[in-house]
Amino acid sequence: MQVSLNWLQTHLDLSGYTTAQLSDLLTFAGIEVEGIEEKGVASDKVVVAQIQSFEQHPNADKLSVCQVDDGSGSLRQIVCGAKNFKAGDKVPLALPGAALPGGFEIKEGKLRGAVSNGMMCSAKELGLGEDTGGLWILDSELPVGKPVNQIVESDTLFDLEITPNRSDLLSHLGLARELAALTGLPLKGERDHAKATSKTRAAKADEVTLEATDGCPYYTARIIKDVKVGPSPAWLKARLESIGLRPINNIVDITNYVMMEMGQSLHAFDLAKLQGGITVRRAKEGEKLLALDGQEYALLTEDLVIADAQRPVAIAGVMGGEETGVTESSTDILLEAAYFTPGNVRRTARRLSLHSDSSYRFERGIDPQQVHGGSDLAVKLILTIAGGTAEDVLRVAGEPPVLVGEVELDEVRAHRLLGMPGLSADEAHAILEKLGLTRLSANKEKSRWGIPGYRLDLQRSVDLVEEVARVIGLDRVPAKFTAAFAQGDATDKAYDHAMQLRQALVHRGFNEAQTLRLVSTAQTKDALGNPTGGVAALKNPLSEDHTTLRPSIIPGLLASAALNVRQGAERLRLFEIGRVFLKMPNGMVREEERLAILLSGPVAPSSWHAREPKAADIFDLRGLVESLPGVATLEIKPLKDNGAFLLHSELKAGNRVLGWIAQVHPARARALDARGPVYVCELLLSALRQGSSGPAKFTDLPRFPAITRDVAFELAADVPNAKVSAFFAGVKEPLLISSALFDVFADPTGVKLPQDRKSLAWTLTYRSSEKTLETAEVDAAHARILAALEKALPVVVRR
Amino acid sequence: MLSELDSLKSEALAALETLTDEAALEAFRIDYLGKKGRLTALSAGMRDVPVEQKKDVGAKLNEVRDAITQGLATRKEALQAAKDAAAVAGIDLTLPGRPGSGVGSLHPLTQIRDLAVRTLRRMGFTLADGPEVETEWHCFDALNTPADHPARNESDTFYMPDGKLLRTHTSSVQIRTLETVKDLPVRIIAPGAAYRRDEIDATHLSVFNQIEALYVDKDVSLADLKGTLEFFFREVFGPGTAVRFRPHFFPFTEPSFEIDVKLEAKGREARWIEIAGCGMVDPAVFAAVSKTRGDTLLDPEQVTGFAFGMGLDRLAMILHGISDIRHLIENDVRFLQQFAA
Repeated sequence: MQVSLNWLQTHLDLSGYTTAQLSDLLTFAGIEVEGIEEKGVASDKVVVAQIQSFEQHPNADKLSVCQVDDGSGSLRQIVCGAKNFKAGDKVPLALPGAALPGGFEIKEGKLRGAVSNGMMCSAKELGLGEDTGGLWILDSELPVGKPVNQIVESDTLFDLEITPNRSDLLSHLGLARELAALTGLPLKGERDHAKATSKTRAAKADEVTLEATDGCPYYTARIIKDVKVGPSPAWLKARLESIGLRPINNIVDITNYVMMEMGQSLHAFDLAKLQGGITVRRAKEGEKLLALDGQEYALLTEDLVIADAQRPVAIAGVMGGEETGVTESSTDILLEAAYFTPGNVRRTARRLSLHSDSSYRFERGIDPQQVHGGSDLAVKLILTIAGGTAEDVLRVAGEPPVLVGEVELDEVRAHRLLGMPGLSADEAHAILEKLGLTRLSANKEKSRWGIPGYRLDLQRSVDLVEEVARVIGLDRVPAKFTAAFAQGDATDKAYDHAMQLRQALVHRGFNEAQTLRLVSTAQTKDALGNPTGGVAALKNPLSEDHTTLRPSIIPGLLASAALNVRQGAERLRLFEIGRVFLKMPNGMVREEERLAILLSGPVAPSSWHAREPKAADIFDLRGLVESLPGVATLEIKPLKDNGAFLLHSELKAGNRVLGWIAQVHPARARALDARGPVYVCELLLSALRQGSSGPAKFTDLPRFPAITRDVAFELAADVPNAKVSAFFAGVKEPLLISSALFDVFADPTGVKLPQDRKSLAWTLTYRSSEKTLETAEVDAAHARILAALEKALPVVVRR
Repeated sequence: MLSELDSLKSEALAALETLTDEAALEAFRIDYLGKKGRLTALSAGMRDVPVEQKKDVGAKLNEVRDAITQGLATRKEALQAAKDAAAVAGIDLTLPGRPGSGVGSLHPLTQIRDLAVRTLRRMGFTLADGPEVETEWHCFDALNTPADHPARNESDTFYMPDGKLLRTHTSSVQIRTLETVKDLPVRIIAPGAAYRRDEIDATHLSVFNQIEALYVDKDVSLADLKGTLEFFFREVFGPGTAVRFRPHFFPFTEPSFEIDVKLEAKGREARWIEIAGCGMVDPAVFAAVSKTRGDTLLDPEQVTGFAFGMGLDRLAMILHGISDIRHLIENDVRFLQQFAA
């Protein structure tokens, strides 16, 4: 909200405070100052001056050398770059020593060799308007030498963020009230404005009817006849313009002024255009309203409207209708002042995307008790400014609701919550009284407080505690250090495990990525590890790019990979740990933490040691996965390729599914401009965690030497290594302690080996835990294994 | 005999100096010290030495053998040393090292989150978690947010077709924790993602990162809030860090404050940076949770607590001087690599 310091000063004298002090005062009372703008010049050294003559600057085409009368009796030479003046024009002149907005100080000097003793100013340079492309040409009647600050008042504008609980601060009077409480300064003329002075009478049924009291429990109308609608007087225009409102005509300006003065939103109708009495009701099916902003709004039956006998004439609390608005030709007006409930106004304003200063205030809640006073203030101003005759009574329908009552302050709990040992009940009570609360009774345990009508936010004991804390601030609160023994649980372990995985990958040269958890529908095709295929789509996505929660991290990593490829990266090693969202067959969304890895390009950065390191393949990725904490053994279960991936496989450890691995389908990789194969895997963190089982168990080191024997054998090319591996792992030979594959040979030309055959070489290690083995014993064991191998699998052992 | 031995010794030692490889040294050894070697041959002559000279000749023999053996060993060492030196001669150590698999990097958000988590864990907080697809009750109602609060609107918050929503803050984890907690005190932190229906631009993301903390016990006061948070921010940003609390408003805390920390953003003068929101848990929150719990552990008349939450994305931007928040989700390796440890 824009607040004018001059306007505030009509309510209290803030001359003892600097702008910075006021800013701090507001900030530490919970009113955030988002901006401060100085308007006009405070300095007396900017004066009205008359240009007597000017000539072209001898050294600069774009400059003029002017002789200027500043009222001192002698002419002053000023070099000037503007072109929009003629001899005899009066302009603002900043004399040496003048400080302009922005802290810019004028000094005597030379411009391209010509003496210049000051600066002639544009309106913008004086903080008084937009750039008009030249000097500000002043009224020719103004006397030279007169300080400009006597012609145009300088002001300070605060842009304040008022928190939603403090609707009472959405007016100058409200803020002045708060500042008076914070500074102890007296309010000028107390709260005359809010006081109602006119008499009331119940409106007749044909004058005002309330059909929807839940949305409008209280409505008042005042008839004023024979007004003269026209431009507002200068002071009123200036007030409105200072806070960024555009003056329209005196009647509309007065309603806006009262709103900004005391927070009561009003509306003036042209009485002649109303057909019959006012009804406050819900809109009827199909009703529309052409509002004052020139737009037509289609209304729903939940919207509250002000209607005459024929049609809606205003959207209650939001905006009036164009047809019944006050114009230059209006003579009789009906002035509405009412209380509309926040929810109604908020829903309608939001649905129509029609936000006005009025709806802003009603949405946050106004003080129903000030409706009458607001109407009276407006009437007083209308009669003064626009003339006319007001009906002597205010027509009233309904009752202003009572929204605040008495609040009991629990002294003991308040004291404990505040944690300020030095704070006495008296001091706390003084703060509440300063804020306009009335102490009704008090003892050691409880006190009862009367709440002013505008403080809608004070409903409970803790609300009063907040007021005390807000005013005192935390400076006086001692800093207390408390800790408790904290028992970690599964969430702690999961966090540590995820960090351990991150570190492991970073140490292997991977960059951690963080991609958006929202992806496009098309991207869900890149998902890895979504067995049910269901995706959790949003009901109200904001764009086509982000329609659904990601069922896998891979879509995001692929997009990041594509971005990096476009930047010229060849070697991609990305990983991400985060949540994925799977739509289950029962409709629920399952959230799961996963680790995804993407690998493409050379295994090592290029260097003088190896200019072109070999390209990583899927075994680099498999090896990486096997090296991660929690993955001891890995089994591969091939899955059906689904168009998005090749080599699509499930990774398992026993019965545990650890995740999935695949090569991104080359067609997809090419679509992403990838220069070579892209490999990906996605692992389930919960499954990996199960694999990391407590402290390692020590096994006695072997005391006797091991003996190795190699074996090479031929078999059909399509027999997976897993079968051979399973044979060696399962063979019953007590002396065999380990087996490892060390060579795979195939000859695509078919010369050394038929194309459908391959040769494997394994090394087998034998050892006894009881003695050093004799060669003969090992040979016998080895022969038994080879015989078993030939029996178990269709292999030909090379002997 | 003695003179023969002396001349053999000087001949042998002189010969040693000319030898330059392992094979020659071995030949030398055999020539002098071998079974049929020259010294061995001479020592065979001991038999013919008169008894009174045997002692002297014997001593001389030993002296010569020791000298040759020693000389041989020294020569061997010298040759080995020369060979070792030759092996590294010419290596230009100013050449770059082998890069291995390269240096990776933790995402800057992870680094900041982990700094916060490690610090708060030292202060006796443990981790807590909750779903990101959340009920309106956990995200808003239980957190004392009015039924017609703007944040609930479909224009501001993502909803699922079944009426659930994407949590707009990690504060919903407060409720998840309080619903199930078995005992006091509650001291938890919850780092996590939150969502806002915002267009993505240089300063906004629709998915952002927060960390939440909650402390509930019988007698938690503003003094605990102040002590804990000042300590936390000084641990994170350095011992001298200035921290200030500005009164503010949040539906789920009362009183509420915003926290500013005076930070030197990269390349800028130190200034107050709004960094977190905090406050004393509103009794309405305890009342809402107590109702679903059906017990009195969190009776609003008996317990108090404080909560605070802060956004990590903005903090990362300030600390590292990152100009555009989208860098945090685009994962340009040139960006990520700047945060390599």
